[in-house]
Amino acid sequence: MDIKEIKALIDLMKKNDLSVFKMEKEGFKITLKRNEFGGIVSSHSAPAFPAFAAPAAQPAPQAAAPASAEEPKEKQKEITSPMVGTFYRSPSPESAPYIEVGHEVTEETVVCIIEAMKMMNEIKAEIKGVISELLVENGTAVQFGQPLFKLK
Amino acid sequence: MFKKVLIANRGEIALRIIRACKELGVKTLAVYSEADVDSLHVQLADEAICIGPAASADSYLKIDRIISAAEIGDVDAIHPGYGFLAENAHFAEICASCNIKFIGPSVSAIRAMGDKNVARATARKAGVPVTPGSDGIVETEQEALKVAKKIGYPVMIKAVAGGGGRGMRPAHNDVSLVQGFHGARMEAEKAFGNGGVYVEKLIENPHHIEFQIMADEHGTIVHLGERDCSIQRRNQKIVEECPSPLLTESLRKRMGQASIKLAQEVAYQGAGTLEFLVDDTGNFYFMEMNTRIQVEHTVTEEVYGCDLVKEQIRVATGMPLSPSIRNAKARYHAIECRINAEDPFNNFQPSPGKIGLYYAPGGRGVRIDSHAYSGYSVPPHYDSMIAKVITIGSTRGNAINRMSRALSEYLIAGIKTTIPFQQAIMRNRDFLHGKYNTGFVESIISSRAAEFRR
Repeated sequence: MDIKEIKALIDLMKKNDLSVFKMEKEGFKITLKRNEFGGIVSSHSAPAFPAFAAPAAQPAPQAAAPASAEEPKEKQKEITSPMVGTFYRSPSPESAPYIEVGHEVTEETVVCIIEAMKMMNEIKAEIKGVISELLVENGTAVQFGQPLFKLK
Repeated sequence: MFKKVLIANRGEIALRIIRACKELGVKTLAVYSEADVDSLHVQLADEAICIGPAASADSYLKIDRIISAAEIGDVDAIHPGYGFLAENAHFAEICASCNIKFIGPSVSAIRAMGDKNVARATARKAGVPVTPGSDGIVETEQEALKVAKKIGYPVMIKAVAGGGGRGMRPAHNDVSLVQGFHGARMEAEKAFGNGGVYVEKLIENPHHIEFQIMADEHGTIVHLGERDCSIQRRNQKIVEECPSPLLTESLRKRMGQASIKLAQEVAYQGAGTLEFLVDDTGNFYFMEMNTRIQVEHTVTEEVYGCDLVKEQIRVATGMPLSPSIRNAKARYHAIECRINAEDPFNNFQPSPGKIGLYYAPGGRGVRIDSHAYSGYSVPPHYDSMIAKVITIGSTRGNAINRMSRALSEYLIAGIKTTIPFQQAIMRNRDFLHGKYNTGFVESIISSRAAEFRR
């Protein structure tokens, strides 16, 4: 998608008084939201732009837009990070990951490790469900409250 | 110079530190609670990491998360601001063990001055006058009664681990002393985790005058004059000025020398403030030392023409004191009014909420240190200060005049603020004559009881 196409979308939104526009194509996702003052604020996510550039920290969130695209209608269950640290999917580099998509978890299931201050912390799911999406790449930095897994 | 600094704070001071870092070419990493996601310091930092939910105990006081954030952010140093972990020796210790420079004094200096009792003993050792009082922690009510009899009523029972005006109980006789003794110990145990108290002579309606010092890591210590902070409400400062209308040149010299001596005694490094009580006959007594940058550092900066926060960062890298600090001379007069999100017409009830239209005053000689903006929601979880208005004038009268002008322009719609109360102070005749002490605010409130209902 190039700048011309995005500008055309913005004009289309203004003309038809649309407040939210979402589109997904070929691994590229874009969300455009109009704020209450009529300006357009945009957030986009594509596989090439993770929320953190590993191992550096999260860039400052934009003023009026959420840092990642959200689903306004569906209420998806999520497992969020209870601490600040580095996210690992397996207990050690040689082992298999704790969970994969489709895996069923209970409250006590260990879903990942977050390393903080040289200590490996096993993170429990704390909710029941089936893993539908892995949101964070192995070895990346995570912050408090950051969604790690989506569940059905 | 540091490559990246983590700011372990929020609000206006986080913004202040980020500004200093930007001017020094240092990258900034802000940490924030979920309640502060839209805060200005988060927006202006180069990077930001969420460290917890709204409650300070679960975010800004969470040492492990802050250190984690520092590690994944790969920072060289942490600036703790004021409050929160700024005077937490344990935190400074952990920073050191993780090879992260804590921008402030050494762990031992923080410990020495953090315990009010040890601080008093250190002052005595340095030949600095202290308020008459117990020689150490008072363990029993009998001991408290003995000390009170010796120094004479009224006395103040104070927590050794207290600060910021908390953990203090006055006593005017034996009955209130015993009550206050047990009450203060319980309160201190709960609030600071340390129930130790000592007894000190209560100087009625003293003047609160503090001295700013700055020290590098090579033993050079200078003082940058005083600030008069006598205008307080319930032991919280609301107006500060530099210089003090009370001080003579000779008293300034003596108090300045005493400050440097005390700082030398603990091999102090960085920015620090020594608080003194001064009575009406020019006697001064050391009260406590704050081993951090203070809210009201601004008036010193304006009068002495320096940047104290930048200097904190510089000396932390090992640089010697800047010429601008070493050769600083006082010029003009500065006043600061703290603006809190409180309703002065309703017993200063906190007034958090969404700010509508926000317009800050400007023009010559007006400085605004604030994290507020149009549409900003003041969260209810933290202290209520939302802005500092600082005015500079060639004379004290001009500075006051300018403050009245600036306050009249300041527009913060949607919430209640203490701007009207500050305006009342600026118009008060005793304040205009420089005749005030720590009893001043209470007298304004009671004399204008109809307006500022108690």
